[in-house]
Amino acid sequence: MNSFFEKIGELFSTPEYIDSLLHGFWLTIQISYFAILIGMILGAIIALIDTARPSKWLVIPKFICRVYTTIIRGTPMALQLFIMFFVIFAIKGFPSIIIAILAFGLNSAAYAAEVIRGGILSVDKGQTEAGLALGLSRTTIFFKIVAPQAIKNIIPALGNEVITVIKETAIVSMVGMYDLNMAAKDIGSGQNMASYIVPMFVAALFYLATIYLITFIVKRIEKSLRRSDLRAEE
Amino acid sequence: MENTETDLKIKNLKKQFGKNKVLNGIDFELKEGERVVILGPSGSGKSTFLRCINWMEEPTSGEIYFDGTLVTEKNIRKMRRNMGMVFQHFNLINNLTVMDNLILAPVKLKIMTREVAEKRAKELLRHIGLPNKAEAYPASLSGGQKQRIAIIRAMMLNPEVLLFDEPTSALDPEAIGDVLDLIRELADRGMTIMIVTHEMGFAREIATRIVFIDKGRIIEEGEPNTFFSHPKTDRVKEFLQKVL
Ligand SMILES: Nc1ncnc2c1ncn2[C@@H]1O[C@H](COP(=O)(O)OP(=O)(O)O)[C@@H](O)[C@H]1O
Ligand SMILES: [Mg+2]
Repeated sequence: MNSFFEKIGELFSTPEYIDSLLHGFWLTIQISYFAILIGMILGAIIALIDTARPSKWLVIPKFICRVYTTIIRGTPMALQLFIMFFVIFAIKGFPSIIIAILAFGLNSAAYAAEVIRGGILSVDKGQTEAGLALGLSRTTIFFKIVAPQAIKNIIPALGNEVITVIKETAIVSMVGMYDLNMAAKDIGSGQNMASYIVPMFVAALFYLATIYLITFIVKRIEKSLRRSDLRAEE
Repeated sequence: MENTETDLKIKNLKKQFGKNKVLNGIDFELKEGERVVILGPSGSGKSTFLRCINWMEEPTSGEIYFDGTLVTEKNIRKMRRNMGMVFQHFNLINNLTVMDNLILAPVKLKIMTREVAEKRAKELLRHIGLPNKAEAYPASLSGGQKQRIAIIRAMMLNPEVLLFDEPTSALDPEAIGDVLDLIRELADRGMTIMIVTHEMGFAREIATRIVFIDKGRIIEEGEPNTFFSHPKTDRVKEFLQKVL
C-alpha cells in the first residue's frame, strides 16, 4: 500500500507523466465529442427517414437505413475501426484522429438512430391523430407534439450512448493512437514507471469523472423535461 | 334538388386493411343540422367509417364530397378544419397546457390571432365549468374533464360537422353524464353531428336518424322511434334485444 501512494506521488510529481495523461485525455475527449456529434445528427436523420410514412420517394432511403444499422450493429466496433484505418482510409498521412472520429461517429449513429426511432414510436398515435384532426400539418405535428414527447423518452437512452462512446474510444490504442487508455499503458511501461497499477488507476478516475459529469447533466435535463408530468402530480 | 344543404355525401366508400375488407361500399348523406347516430356490433367498421370521413384512414375506394367538393389528399387539411373529431381516448396533447391545446390549431392555422383565440378558449372553459384549468396539463385532469375539453377544442374552429367516436366509452358513469350534457347542448344549438355510441337512451333522444352498420355495410337506417320500435331487419332486432 505504501508503494502505491509513493507511485501516485511519483506520477503527479513527474511533469512528463501528467503531460502524457492530459494529452491522452484530450484526444479521448476530442474523438468522443465529434463522434457523438456526428452520431446524433446522422442518427436523427436515419430515425426520421425510418419513421416517416411510407412513400415511393423513401423506399430506397429507408432500405439503405435498414442495411446500414444492421451492418453497424451486427459487427464489432474494433473491426469497424480496423476497416476504416486499414481499408477505407489506408491513405498515407491522412490524420488518424479524423478516421477515428468517423469510425466512432458512424457507429454511434446506428445506435442513436435506434434510440431516437424508439422514442418517436413510443409517442401515442392518438397524439398525432389529434393534430391531424385539427388540420395541422405533419411538420407542425412533429415539432409541436411528437418531438417534445419523444425527447423525454430519448434523453436517458441517448445519455447512455454518449457514455458508451466515451468508453469505447479506448480501443483506438489498438491502432496506435495516444488516447487516455494508451497514455496509462505508456506511463506504466518499462522505460517509464515500470508499474501499471497507478497510471491505470488514475486513467480510470479520469473516465469515471467524465462519465459522472455526463450522468449528472443528463439527469438535470431529464428533470427539466419532466415539467409537464410534475405539474400533474400537484 | 334538396331544400337543406348537404354537408356530406359519400359514394360507395370501401376500406380494407391488407386483406381485411372493413367497409364494403357505404353510401351516405348528411344534411346540415342532422344528428346521425351510428350503431352496430363491435368490429363492424363504425370507427373506420368515421375515420375515413376525415381521412384519418385513407379510403381504399369511393368518393367523399364535403360541401360539394370531392375530398382528396390535397385538400383534406383544409376540410378537416370544418369537421371536428372527438376521440374515445380524448387525445389531448400531453405536452401542452389546456389553453395551448385549445389555441394551437386556430393560431397555427392563422384562423384567429392569439388574443382572440385565448379569449374564446377562456369563454368556452368557463362555459363548461373549468375556468381554472387553463394552465393545467392534461395528466392532471379527470377523464370527464379531458373529454369536455377535447370537445371544446374541436369547437374552437367552429366546424360545420362534429364526428364523435364513442366519446363516453372510456369514462366512469358520473363523467358520462357531464359529457353527454355537453353534446346535447351542442345538438340543441343546431350542430351537425355524427356519433358512434353505445348509450342507447342518448342515441334515441338526440338522433334525427339512426344508421346501423354490420360487416362494413349500412343495413338499416331510419328515424329513431321507428328504428327502435319497429326494426325492419332480423339483424337489428337481434342487436336491440341484446343492448336494450
Ligand atoms: N388501423 C387498422 N389496421 C388494421 N385493421 C384495422 C385498423 N383499424 C381497424 N381495423 C379493423 O377493422 C375492423 C373494424 O374496426 P372498427 O372500425 O374499429 O370497428 P368498430 O368501431 O365498429 O368496433 C376490425 O376488424 C379491426 O381489426
Ligand atoms: Mg370503434
